[in-house]
Amino acid sequence: MSTLETLQDILSDEFNLTRERVAPDAKLAALGVDSLDLLELMFKIEDRYRLAIRDDVPSDLTTVGDLVRFIDRLLAAQSKAPDSGGADRHAAP
Amino acid sequence: MPLREPRRVAVTGLGVVAPIGDSVEALCANLVAGRSGIRPLDIPLREALRSPIGASADFRGDAHFAVPRLRMLDRVSQMALVAAAQAVADANLNFGTENRDRCGVSVGSGMGGAETTDEGYHIIYAERSDRVKPYTVLTSMTNAAASWIGIDYGITGPNLTYSTACSSGAVAVGEAARRIQSGDVDVMLAGGAEAPLTFGVLRAWEAMRTIATPDAQDPSASCRPFARNRTGLVLGEGAAFVALEEWSHATARGARIHAQLTGYGLTTDAAHITRPTVEGQAAAMRAALRSAGLDHGAVDYVNAHGTATLQNDAVETAAIKEVFGARAYALPVSSTKSMHGHLLGAAGALEFVIAVASMERGIVPPTMHLELPDPACDLDYVPERARTGVRLNAVMSNSFAFGGTNAVLIAEARD
Repeated sequence: MSTLETLQDILSDEFNLTRERVAPDAKLAALGVDSLDLLELMFKIEDRYRLAIRDDVPSDLTTVGDLVRFIDRLLAAQSKAPDSGGADRHAAP
Repeated sequence: MPLREPRRVAVTGLGVVAPIGDSVEALCANLVAGRSGIRPLDIPLREALRSPIGASADFRGDAHFAVPRLRMLDRVSQMALVAAAQAVADANLNFGTENRDRCGVSVGSGMGGAETTDEGYHIIYAERSDRVKPYTVLTSMTNAAASWIGIDYGITGPNLTYSTACSSGAVAVGEAARRIQSGDVDVMLAGGAEAPLTFGVLRAWEAMRTIATPDAQDPSASCRPFARNRTGLVLGEGAAFVALEEWSHATARGARIHAQLTGYGLTTDAAHITRPTVEGQAAAMRAALRSAGLDHGAVDYVNAHGTATLQNDAVETAAIKEVFGARAYALPVSSTKSMHGHLLGAAGALEFVIAVASMERGIVPPTMHLELPDPACDLDYVPERARTGVRLNAVMSNSFAFGGTNAVLIAEARD
């Protein structure tokens, strides 16, 4: 499943949207996703990809396409450094 | 200044999300039937509680709000919004045509977004995770419910939250009436909301040894105000709201008026953080009578604070005797907490709604589970059975609190 399709899954569930509206050029704000929603969305993205988003979420993520590229960049970085911890840092001790 | 002059306060809308009814109609039917909403709780970790009982409301947020909105609303705000919407609909108010600078919101809550707080602590301390939800501050803050109500209706006048523990709801209603009376505003949505049925909150109340021991035969009979075998209070959840309006504002738009809010008394014990005083409670009742310009003989029913703790019920009984004298014995006094439990910051608002709705319907709701009288509690508590077909002209609702803030409201029949 492509990153876009995964985002369509998550956003359509969490924001009561049709998958069609979650298009690459759609503005996140127009979909009802504000900056705090985006932070919460990152938890879901971490779970889905077993990613650990350690860095701050860039403030210039304005469209669905920006978010897709952000996730793809993280996935690429993770595949180069497989011992980076991933989602395991959230496991209970 | 008497609330009656110069600007009178009309109660034009009522709304409730309560353990024994999600509408005023259902609530009254259950009160008359003496039906209790206290039951075994179905919450995580209940097996670790001594008293895993509570008066839960039959309320699901997802039946009222879509997913994106739900994320931003603690259960306490969900219930507040639904009860406020009922009051607005009942009053037939349209804020689109009101001068919204002259409208306000006044909410009482003791613990605010307790579920969010509990969940947040679980994430950071139990799961040792850093995934605290980004909305945690906004959903748990005590004024969240009031804020959302203001945003939903575009109400741009005062937006206030009062937190005086168990009298918060009564204070919110009384202070709202004062704002109308003073001329600052013409319309107030006022009420209380509380959602305390989470493990952390229940455990904290248990630790104070104030929670009732569950009745082994019938958990719904665990809260027994004024009874010799009372063992403490039972927590409940819910929200109750009233629409208050300046009298001529209400009549000019042809609003149906449920009652006139004429009395509000507010005193503080300034004695002990939990132990109530006869003097403080009596002074609040007297202050309410004074502000209504009423003699104590005019009051036909008192909805008592009646928590079913050993302390409160004896002290409140003594305070009522001090204010009403010999007439206290002929005055119906009931604690509806025997059925809906103690809604903490919402209690005063819910019980004021009950007092008004009872007056309108000519009913006196009972104190249930009062089979064994306590010699220290010897008033007419309307035990076990509601009275119907009664003419009530003025009703009093008592709310007393940890911290010592005593608030008493009086409503009178509209004619």
